[in-house]
Amino acid sequence: MATASETTLVTTHNESGTKWWTRFLDPSERTLAVLLLMPAALLLTLIIVYPVCRLIWTSFQNLSLTSGLPASFAGLENYTLMLEDPVFWETTWNTVLITLITVPGALLVGLALALMANLPFNVKWPVRLSLLIPWALPLSFAGLIFAWFFHSEYGVVNDVLRRIGIEGVIWFNSANWAFAAICLTIIWKTSSFMALIILAGLQTIPRSLYEAADVDGAGRLRQFFEITLPLLKPAIVVALIFRTITALQTFDIPFTMTRGGPGTSTATLAMYIHQNTVDFLDLGYGSALAVVMFALSMGVTAVYLRMIRTKG
Amino acid sequence: MTAMSHDTTASRSIFSGKPLRILIGFILLVNGMFPALWILFTSLKTEAELTVKPITWLPHAPTIANYLRAFTDQPLLLFLFNSFMVAILSTALTLFISVLAAYALARLQIRGRDLILSAIIAVSTFPLVTLLVPLFEIMRALGLLNTWVALILPYTVLSLPVCTLILVSFFEGIPRDLENSAMIDGCTRIGALFKVVVPLSAPGVFTAGILAFVNAWDEFLLALSFNSNPMLRTLPVGITLYQGEFAFPWPVISAALVVGIVPVAVLIVIFQERVVSGLTSGGIKG
Repeated sequence: MATASETTLVTTHNESGTKWWTRFLDPSERTLAVLLLMPAALLLTLIIVYPVCRLIWTSFQNLSLTSGLPASFAGLENYTLMLEDPVFWETTWNTVLITLITVPGALLVGLALALMANLPFNVKWPVRLSLLIPWALPLSFAGLIFAWFFHSEYGVVNDVLRRIGIEGVIWFNSANWAFAAICLTIIWKTSSFMALIILAGLQTIPRSLYEAADVDGAGRLRQFFEITLPLLKPAIVVALIFRTITALQTFDIPFTMTRGGPGTSTATLAMYIHQNTVDFLDLGYGSALAVVMFALSMGVTAVYLRMIRTKG
Repeated sequence: MTAMSHDTTASRSIFSGKPLRILIGFILLVNGMFPALWILFTSLKTEAELTVKPITWLPHAPTIANYLRAFTDQPLLLFLFNSFMVAILSTALTLFISVLAAYALARLQIRGRDLILSAIIAVSTFPLVTLLVPLFEIMRALGLLNTWVALILPYTVLSLPVCTLILVSFFEGIPRDLENSAMIDGCTRIGALFKVVVPLSAPGVFTAGILAFVNAWDEFLLALSFNSNPMLRTLPVGITLYQGEFAFPWPVISAALVVGIVPVAVLIVIFQERVVSGLTSGGIKG
């Protein structure tokens, strides 16, 4: 504990000296702030600000690397093309549907997991680990593992179904079942993070509130709806918004589970952007698609920022 | 450190009673661990056992043959190395940049501080997927496609907001006096930052570092898009693109997945409390 003695020594030193250095450093404080924020600003300019401008510009261009032609101004061509492109509508709809199913799904499962994990267990670490492992597992790994789970012949899901007397399905041959498998996987993967956030919220609720409610004769269920849920709301809202934005970008799990198949029935907007950019090298069209996703996410972020501001 | 101490707060639920609690603990464990355990069991089975119907659960004759094949069929060791280097280098860069920025935000008089903090939060929700095209073009123009740098830079941006926010709150908790006296003893302000503030915020720096590492270790889309050279694939991309002659080689894949899960699992087991506090403080504060 050498640091402890050093700190006391150092603090006693300080009283006399505070003034002259503050006076000495104050003028340069702004310069120092600029210098310290500079690396972050430069990196954000290179990786976010400049690319965003370039994205919007490219979305108005004809730019296909396979054609070998130089970029030319296309006006709204990429956008009108998009409106008539059934795959654009299908992948956008799939993305919205995945968001609408998996965000509330992960919330409900996460809430249940958090309430269960909040019980007074004697040993806490296994419970904590069982919430952390799904979070830390790469999405792509979760996709691969669950693709094996849902394997029609050797998968554990159909095996369990057979044991309880239900005939399994060939999950990845049917658009609907494949979609269901993807949604279940996403809910499993993301509910743990939700649970961790909600659990932290639960642990800040003072016990005295429940004791007072007990005295007033309120039942457990009523306490849950009138004390627990309202006090959890801020934590839940933040978790929901983060989850919504990541759900709009869904790529890894459908890519590793189905590659978007059968056909394009489980492909997402992110997968379509990737395909147009990396496989077809049609950068103009890929950019126009990305602008749509950008607008969707910015809408959600705007709501988020407004909520934070009204909260604080 | 933060809100994780269970003693002062309520631990309550609709359920109680010991047998029920054991059952619930079991459900939690199965939910969290079963997928990873199942892939471990799969990886230890022989190819013959994997094509038996009905399927077996525990491996009858455990074998490491799949692991040997996972390392020889594909350059798995190289994928591991790529993932490690990209994750470690981007974590180091993230920490360096966010320590500087967080210090400015926590300590210095900055006009528009709230605006900068809002911008950081906005960046934390930024969909990096949408920048696939321009980032692809920029990396191509800079000759960075098929290098680690093409991934390190975006991964740094991915973790920069969370790490900065975590560090700001830690730095704000360090008494100013400690820094001031270090400066009287001849330290420059930057010197005081790295000799006093950062060491005293070690738990925060650690938490931020782990989150940055896991983010980089998990990323898939950019790694898939920017590095087409098989020798530069990271683990998630390398494993996903394993192709057998005819079918997806599940025995080998499962062994490779276990190899990929172990490093992160070790990190999580050792630093579980840090990780939880980092995730939840970042989450609740935004």
